[in-house]
Amino acid sequence: MKHTKHLIAALAAFVLAGCGKPAPSPTTEASVPPAEPAAEQATSTSTEPKTLSVFCWSEYIPQSVIDQFSKETGIKVSVENYASNEEMLAKLLAGGGQYDIIQPSEYVVGALIKENLLHPIDHANVPNLTNIKPTFLNMSFDPGNQFSVPFMVGSVGIVVNTDLVKEDIKGFADVFQDKYKQNIVVLDDAREIVSWALAYKGLSVNAVTDENVAAIKPLLAQWLPLVKVYDSDSPKTALLNGDVAIGVVWGGEGAILLNEDKKFKWVIPSEGAHLFVDSLAIPKQSKHPMNAQAFMNFILRPEISKQISDAFPYTNPNMAARALLTPEQLANPASYPTDEEISRMEIFTDIGEQASKVDEIVTSLKVQ
Amino acid sequence: MPADVATPLSTRLRGFQALFSGTRLQNSFFGLWTLGVFAFLYIPIVLLVVFSFNSSRLNIRWEGFSLRWYSALFSNATLIAALQNSLIVAVATTVLATILGTVGAWMLYRYRFPMQRAIGLLIFIPMVMPEVLMGVSLLVLFVQLLEMPLGFLTLIIAHTTFCFPFVLVGVQARLHGIDPFLEEAALDLGATPIQAFWKVIVPYLLPAIISGALMSFTLSLDEYIVSVFTTGSQTQTLPLKVFGMAKVGLNPQLNALSTLFILATVLIVICSQLLTSKKST
Amino acid sequence: MAGLAAASLGAKDSRTYRRTPGLLAWLVMLPLLAWLVLFIVVPTLMLVVVSFADRDALGRVVYQFSFDNYARAFNWIWLRVLLQSVGYALVTTLICMALGYPAAYFIGRAPVRWRAILLMLVMVPFWTSFLIRTYAWITILSKEGLINGLLVGSGLFAEPVTLLYTPFAVILGLVYNFLPFMILPIYTSVEKLDGAMIEAAYDLGAGPTRAFSQVIIPLTSPGITAGALLVFIPSIAMFAITSLMGGGADPNIGEVIYKQFTAGRNQPFGAALGVLLLLIFVAALWLTQRMREED
Repeated sequence: MKHTKHLIAALAAFVLAGCGKPAPSPTTEASVPPAEPAAEQATSTSTEPKTLSVFCWSEYIPQSVIDQFSKETGIKVSVENYASNEEMLAKLLAGGGQYDIIQPSEYVVGALIKENLLHPIDHANVPNLTNIKPTFLNMSFDPGNQFSVPFMVGSVGIVVNTDLVKEDIKGFADVFQDKYKQNIVVLDDAREIVSWALAYKGLSVNAVTDENVAAIKPLLAQWLPLVKVYDSDSPKTALLNGDVAIGVVWGGEGAILLNEDKKFKWVIPSEGAHLFVDSLAIPKQSKHPMNAQAFMNFILRPEISKQISDAFPYTNPNMAARALLTPEQLANPASYPTDEEISRMEIFTDIGEQASKVDEIVTSLKVQ
Repeated sequence: MPADVATPLSTRLRGFQALFSGTRLQNSFFGLWTLGVFAFLYIPIVLLVVFSFNSSRLNIRWEGFSLRWYSALFSNATLIAALQNSLIVAVATTVLATILGTVGAWMLYRYRFPMQRAIGLLIFIPMVMPEVLMGVSLLVLFVQLLEMPLGFLTLIIAHTTFCFPFVLVGVQARLHGIDPFLEEAALDLGATPIQAFWKVIVPYLLPAIISGALMSFTLSLDEYIVSVFTTGSQTQTLPLKVFGMAKVGLNPQLNALSTLFILATVLIVICSQLLTSKKST
Repeated sequence: MAGLAAASLGAKDSRTYRRTPGLLAWLVMLPLLAWLVLFIVVPTLMLVVVSFADRDALGRVVYQFSFDNYARAFNWIWLRVLLQSVGYALVTTLICMALGYPAAYFIGRAPVRWRAILLMLVMVPFWTSFLIRTYAWITILSKEGLINGLLVGSGLFAEPVTLLYTPFAVILGLVYNFLPFMILPIYTSVEKLDGAMIEAAYDLGAGPTRAFSQVIIPLTSPGITAGALLVFIPSIAMFAITSLMGGGADPNIGEVIYKQFTAGRNQPFGAALGVLLLLIFVAALWLTQRMREED
């Protein structure tokens, strides 16, 4: 019938329109600095096929950086994104993708090393590793950086809308008060939430034992009913829209909020906070480890790292790159906590099977 | 007989009623209601389109007119590639799901297959099963049991699997109460069962087939979770790219993309309608 | 009036009319059956197997038989989440029916050349990306958003009303996203209504409400049932909408299962919850089929 034919024609037109569009030049809004002279060429290898499969967080590596790497080395890069470490793990362990680069957080790196699932890195292939601030090298989850290089660092902290909240907020005790009932946004991450309760009680964020979890349960039962929104993907939305006045969010979100409006204030909780270190690593079964290491070395270049920081305001562990940043960027407290604040923070270690219990406790308290 | 014998009240009322005849009243009421429904459906769309011209990056406050997102969109190769992938998958899924659903519904209606009820239940499973379970189990099936590379084929299979039940249920509803001798008449006139199906049943089912196709297309275009687990890195679809963008605030380029998409669709439909009405006059 | 509804007599006749499949029928049915087995039965069986398994610290499945997951699943926490999810789905379905039926009726009875356009117009909003249109709703409903701007600006309210991150917002989001799936099936039933029959109903003196409830609605009931199924079933585990519009405070069963595959690192437990959900659904469907047959 006529209508069917027209519908099919319409759909076909779409597909053809899509296929027929000439491939636009791969530049994005971020300005691309001129290519670095031959002094620091990415080492490419002649034995491996020139492809690289990158499995990384969304909005963490700008497309311009990927394109520049491709142009310089002739290695074709395909990028796949994930929204959480465990999503990455699930797909990696099922053996689905042939990934050469993954971007795990620190506790996942530790777990993967323990299970012997990462490909070792030869530091001779990644000389730019020396650009990284020593505080972020040789950390407990990967001694000697045998399997991972730090990519970006960040913290979890408190954001306060000073237009709506006049009181001085110093830590979790100040946030979770009855007067802020239904006015708080927190990360939808059971492990994070439990770590705040543990920090409040003066315990290590990694001491997720059965007794500790039982001990903090009444505290959480007090805190969680005060929360209006749980959001790990974009907690800044609720704060920007004025639907909540206080948030416990990722550093990157905090930095964006601070850049957006001066009314937002960033506070590292006095009780302690989570310092996360996202790294680049190579899965054991990767077929292009040399290309992967070349990619790592490329990312560690100061001007490339600067590009990443320009696009995403996390804490850049690359000191050579920091030298290239603007004073404004470095002054953002959510992006660059002081050394004193960093000393108050802890990285996560993997809690393995306790993750399920932790998730159950938080779910049960949400359901009240 | 005196001419002024009062006409019975009931007759007068009925005449009055004829003015507000059942169908006319019904139509105007329903027309208004439909308008209301469309208004409801399009409120966020209007906002979305308006913000595609917003000079500010965050979709919260209007800060001035600008076309920068449209120009940025045209140079955003990854987003356009993702859109292409989504369209290819959606079209293929729609075709497959519509065929499976329509033929399946007809066969189940027309013939008495063994385990009929079991089949009827199985068809609902993709609808009930939470997407993550479907995604992960298909991932394991593809990678470990069938040893297939993840890409367009796995995506299309996964999407078709959860789309075709929608078509099937819709077509079944239309088959309910169909004249049982419609097909019989065609067969009597010398048609083969396949011809009878194609020339008699399918035209009867067409509104349901089109509805099912529309639903499949829509479902496939927006599918996120199943796609996460069944796609390869070469075949990233639009929802996969969009989802991550929420982290830094949804880029108004997406608004621009949606606006253009809607514009294109509406234009195509209007053009095709104009062509048909020209032909019929 | 009831006699007109006897048009459904045709359905009963069809049951004696159905034939045993011959070779051609089996051949045609084979692709569908193969698809069912390979991509529905096999994954479901895998799910059942995994639900009885265990997992290691990294979250990988360890094939060691255990009832632990099911023992754990029979807990008020999960049951409460499931009941809540089903409750939201039910309310959504009823509202979609009320909102969608008149619109579907109008489109189905509209002049033929308008029907295709109207149907398309119903679907087109959903060809925008889900996240964008949900964030658009968030902007509209938020304390500093459009609706509150109107309410406070016009002086009706002194303070902004909390519309977002409430059950109201969740149902709004669900109804919004599922309305087309109610309208389209009802449309296909309305479209085949015989105009003469409807006119007859009115001419015979029935008021609009009686003509509608006693003639038109029963005649379009297959479409209504289809629409109800296509809204109710998928919306139970549709957690993207509930967590974005509701703020995540009231978790949805789909979200709970999803978390087992991510943060919870307990795929077998997630599989067990999923199998239970499937079993409950299958039982409910089987019951309704039995009830309908006994009619």
